[in-house]
Amino acid sequence: MNTRHQPLYAYLLAALVMVGLSYGLPLLLPGDYIEAVYGSSQVVLDAEQEAQLRQELGGRKGFAAHLWGLVTLDWGHSLALQTPVSRLVLEALPWTLLLLGTAHLLALVLGFIAGVEAAWRRGGRLEKAGVGGATMLQGVPEIGSGVLLLLLFAYHLGWFPAGGATTAYAELSGGPWLLDVLHHLALPLLTLVLAYLPGNFLLTRAGMVMILGSPYLETARAKGLPPLRVRYVHAARNALLPVLTRFGLRLAFMITGALVVETIFAYPGLGTLLFTAIGSRDLPVIQAVVLLAALLMLLINLGLALLHRRLDPRIGHAL
Amino acid sequence: MKTEIKQLTVTYREDDHRLLALDRVDLQLLPGRITALVGESGSGKTTLGKALLGLLPPAATVDGQILLGEDDLTALDETARNQLRWRRAAVVPQNGAAALNPAYRLLDQVAEPLRRQRGVKRREAEERALAGLAELGLDRDQARRYPHELSGGQVQRGLLAMALILDPPLLILDEPTAALDCLSKNHLAQLFRRLAAQQKSLLLITHDLALARQTADQAAVIYLGRIMEYLPAGQLDRARHPYTVALYRSFPGMDAVRDLGGIRGDAFYRLLHAHPAVNVQQHRTCGHDHQHLVTPASNHPEEHAPPGADEDGHAPAAGCLFAPRCTQAEDACRREAPALNRLREPDAPQPDIDQGHEHQIRCRRGGIIDLLCCRKTSKSYGPVTALHPVDLELRAGEVCCLVGESGSGKTTLAMLAAGALEPDRGRVSFAGRDLADWRRRDPLGLAARIGIIHQQPAEAVSHRFTVFEIVAEPLRIQRPDLDAAALEQRVLTSLAEVRLATQPEFLRRYPHQLNLGAIQRLCLARALIQQPQLLVADEPTSALDPSVQAKVLKLLLELQIEKGLTLLLVTHDLGLARKIADRLAVMEAGRLVESGPAARVLSRPAHSCTARLIAAATTT
Amino acid sequence: MPSEFNRIRRDPWLTVGLLLLLLLAGLSLLGPLLTPHDPHDMSFMPLSTPSAQHWLGVNDGGMDIYSELVHSLRNTLWFGLLAGVCGLLLGATGGLAAAWYGGWLDQLLMRLADIILALPAILVLILLAAFFRPDPAWLALTLAALAWPNSAKVIRAQALGLKNQLHLQAARRMGASVGYLLRRHLLPELFPLYLVALAAKIRMAVFMEATLAFLGLFDPARKSLGMMISYALKYYYLEIWPYWLLPPIICLTLLIMGATFLAVSLEKFFDPRLREL
Repeated sequence: MNTRHQPLYAYLLAALVMVGLSYGLPLLLPGDYIEAVYGSSQVVLDAEQEAQLRQELGGRKGFAAHLWGLVTLDWGHSLALQTPVSRLVLEALPWTLLLLGTAHLLALVLGFIAGVEAAWRRGGRLEKAGVGGATMLQGVPEIGSGVLLLLLFAYHLGWFPAGGATTAYAELSGGPWLLDVLHHLALPLLTLVLAYLPGNFLLTRAGMVMILGSPYLETARAKGLPPLRVRYVHAARNALLPVLTRFGLRLAFMITGALVVETIFAYPGLGTLLFTAIGSRDLPVIQAVVLLAALLMLLINLGLALLHRRLDPRIGHAL
Repeated sequence: MKTEIKQLTVTYREDDHRLLALDRVDLQLLPGRITALVGESGSGKTTLGKALLGLLPPAATVDGQILLGEDDLTALDETARNQLRWRRAAVVPQNGAAALNPAYRLLDQVAEPLRRQRGVKRREAEERALAGLAELGLDRDQARRYPHELSGGQVQRGLLAMALILDPPLLILDEPTAALDCLSKNHLAQLFRRLAAQQKSLLLITHDLALARQTADQAAVIYLGRIMEYLPAGQLDRARHPYTVALYRSFPGMDAVRDLGGIRGDAFYRLLHAHPAVNVQQHRTCGHDHQHLVTPASNHPEEHAPPGADEDGHAPAAGCLFAPRCTQAEDACRREAPALNRLREPDAPQPDIDQGHEHQIRCRRGGIIDLLCCRKTSKSYGPVTALHPVDLELRAGEVCCLVGESGSGKTTLAMLAAGALEPDRGRVSFAGRDLADWRRRDPLGLAARIGIIHQQPAEAVSHRFTVFEIVAEPLRIQRPDLDAAALEQRVLTSLAEVRLATQPEFLRRYPHQLNLGAIQRLCLARALIQQPQLLVADEPTSALDPSVQAKVLKLLLELQIEKGLTLLLVTHDLGLARKIADRLAVMEAGRLVESGPAARVLSRPAHSCTARLIAAATTT
Repeated sequence: MPSEFNRIRRDPWLTVGLLLLLLLAGLSLLGPLLTPHDPHDMSFMPLSTPSAQHWLGVNDGGMDIYSELVHSLRNTLWFGLLAGVCGLLLGATGGLAAAWYGGWLDQLLMRLADIILALPAILVLILLAAFFRPDPAWLALTLAALAWPNSAKVIRAQALGLKNQLHLQAARRMGASVGYLLRRHLLPELFPLYLVALAAKIRMAVFMEATLAFLGLFDPARKSLGMMISYALKYYYLEIWPYWLLPPIICLTLLIMGATFLAVSLEKFFDPRLREL
């Protein structure tokens, strides 16, 4: 199993490529920047607005100015929503982080533990059922499971709200607010956990099964250590490495589903913002959301690579 | 603490059959003694090591007893067994660095049993681990390294320190020196001796016979899960069981000078089928042809005997496990399973258990037999004493070279051994029967068992015979019942074996049309065509040029491995003797002055004559 | 290998995966024969429930849902196959070239692969699609260009091992040309790897296509499963939703399931190291 991470510079270069795309793509569109970015959107600019914009942007920006703009949160102006892009994005970001962070955390912890335990009981009926079920689940895309969950639990049974992250105008605070947030979070979270968990489970199990046959695990058992220590401190810790490596590679794939899930549940995160922006061809917003998501992903990957180095002494401690 | 393994049987379940890994093994490990367990890979050595820690996989079924002190490991549940692990018995596993968790430092792994088993505080556990590692020559810096940062020798010492950390009375060493250079190996061997001196019992699982001989007190030789021979480890070079002998001959030690032998055939797996009618099936592991020896259960109670039952209680048995590969197996060997007996004393009672194991052997024939035995044999021609009384034994499957100056009596002794001469005094026995008596009663039967190659090949063949007639002669004499086709077939095979031509034109030639080398080989073909047990050859290759000589010698060695051919070779060429002899017998003036393993005789000659011969051979 | 082929034939995941894919491919190819409607024909009664004329009813734009479904399935499959096959071709070429020629080419290709592996493909596709509204085929090719490094790395590693094997060196000493070696030795020996990579890539491409379509990044005139789901979701309160929303969801799920099962099964037997999830 490939447990090697990408070299660190690859993340830096990939980030540069993304920034470069965000800078360069508009230049490839016909007309000047304003025409290119706003002209094709469904919003019609009147002459006054256009003049104001031209003045604001001072014509075509250089790459350095573009970079500076990125750093200073000057990401342009959404005409469709009449708001600075940065405000829209920053409003949506926490909800996405909440949803995806919780989903990944849950899926990782649950999938990992389930994988470890399944491998420990390999050959058993429970393990076979687990592997079968996980393989089935892996074949269900988030679009499918999300819509079905929405139809069943929100529309049909009415147990959960069909959209939003909080109840509008409820003015809740403290405990009730938190419950409200969780109530809204439940369905999209479940969809994502269902999508992420099988992969983590199967990977952990496969890694564990390999480790269970390894000589050092037999040594650990021979030492008369408590079974839980053998299972987790000696075996699972090493099974974690490929899961982490794979996590980075799968992240790009997993983000795809997240975009859809937010949209299905009208969860006010980056995905929904992107969906709305695509609907109105609000290019500055699309650009900002894509760039931000990409950079965040690269950052997470970088963090994982560093973590991997810490966890696996064979890679070495130096960066 | 004494460790006793009693009638231990381990089978592995696999799909529809079971694999018999250990078959009623008895073994005692006494304090202060190192027991070597030797055998080919797949013989069950490692299974035994794992069983001692209760670490067999769930697919394994265990019968019998494993007594670690008073506790029977097989009777305990997993929790109780876990309590004993590493305290009563610890293991130095094979695979070196792979046996250490790559994610933790050596020190942490060494200290771990102290902390988890004994509840020692971290600081103290680390100090004690460091002390243990230091004792084995690993300093603080090395102790804090990760496994992949250590050399093979360091890993092995680290593993040993880890095994010793709880001061267990029993230490299992599973191929501890497999990947080490010989300096590290020696260092470890000394360590093992020191540990034994501290009254620990050590089980040394190894296929390194030199290590076993050098380090261990006693050795148990295991084949297909069955103990074949127990013997003092120092006597491994004088082992009696055909398996041990062949194993030893295959091992590239520094104390053997001749080319490596081998064991014919391959080891089998022992499969016990769930199907009631077919109980035993033996598989070739990696043979070219798959040979299934399927035997109905009813005829062979031995294989499904309730483990623990006394095997002597079962009248007909499935035969010796090693018989298919044994060169001296008789029909009876394939029928009767041999019991483990004290050597040469088949009627003696079971050995005293408390004394450990003496030399015991599981062979119906009592191990490698002495094929030829000369006792005080002497010969004179008129007033000239050609041979003073000589004692000489030839073990089955052995290559013995008679060396000495011309006129030292080599040829006389050889011809006496072959039965071509009658001794004046003393007796010669062959396969346990008196040679002279045998020749009187059954001259043909004896002749078929002993092939002779004479010194002067040209005179040994009739010049009126064609090539075909020369080679066919022994068979025509001994097997008049053979039809022409079979006869021709065997002649051709025999000719091909000695790398002679087999075309009809060649078969019709006469000796005078051949050169001396071809005639020599013709004699060889003639000697081999009757498939003798003993080949007595007087300078058989002196007339051959070196390339043909090499081929013929190779052929003889191959026959030794495949058919157990015993060779008594008279030669004056020490270089040749060195390459092929298991044993050297040195003669001077009609006396046998020295006889012993070829390597020993050549490296440490005990007689001045031998030294002189060696000196002469090295200067020329 | 042959023994693996024998064992894999008995793997139920493979059988089910293949059946699912064949079924859906058959439906997309033969489906139009069973219904006379043009999926773009907007002349029917909008939002009417299923009838003999319209098996799954008519959508809000007055188009026959069944025809729409069949065409969507075809488009999605086409996208998946195009991206998958091209990605595999790129990956195999890159991997084999890197392994065979080594040196600077190997360095270049593998560094490039590292960077591309770090790039989130879907985000690049969204950006491109939003800005240029390219033809779906171009998007599929872009996806292939972003998806090749994974298989290239695996194929390179295996090819490196093969390259040093004796029978290959022997063939080289016999004077075999690079083309011969590739054709007769490397390509066939790595065959199972291609299967694994292809299944994984098709799965990913189908998933991405559905997402892009769901987000509305394709030409609205191009029928696709993701877009159907996206539109139908807006009318969940209408009586027609089970006929409009469920069929594309089921089709999409079965499609991805089929590809997943195939990938999982092939992977299990041929390459435990390769997992494109």
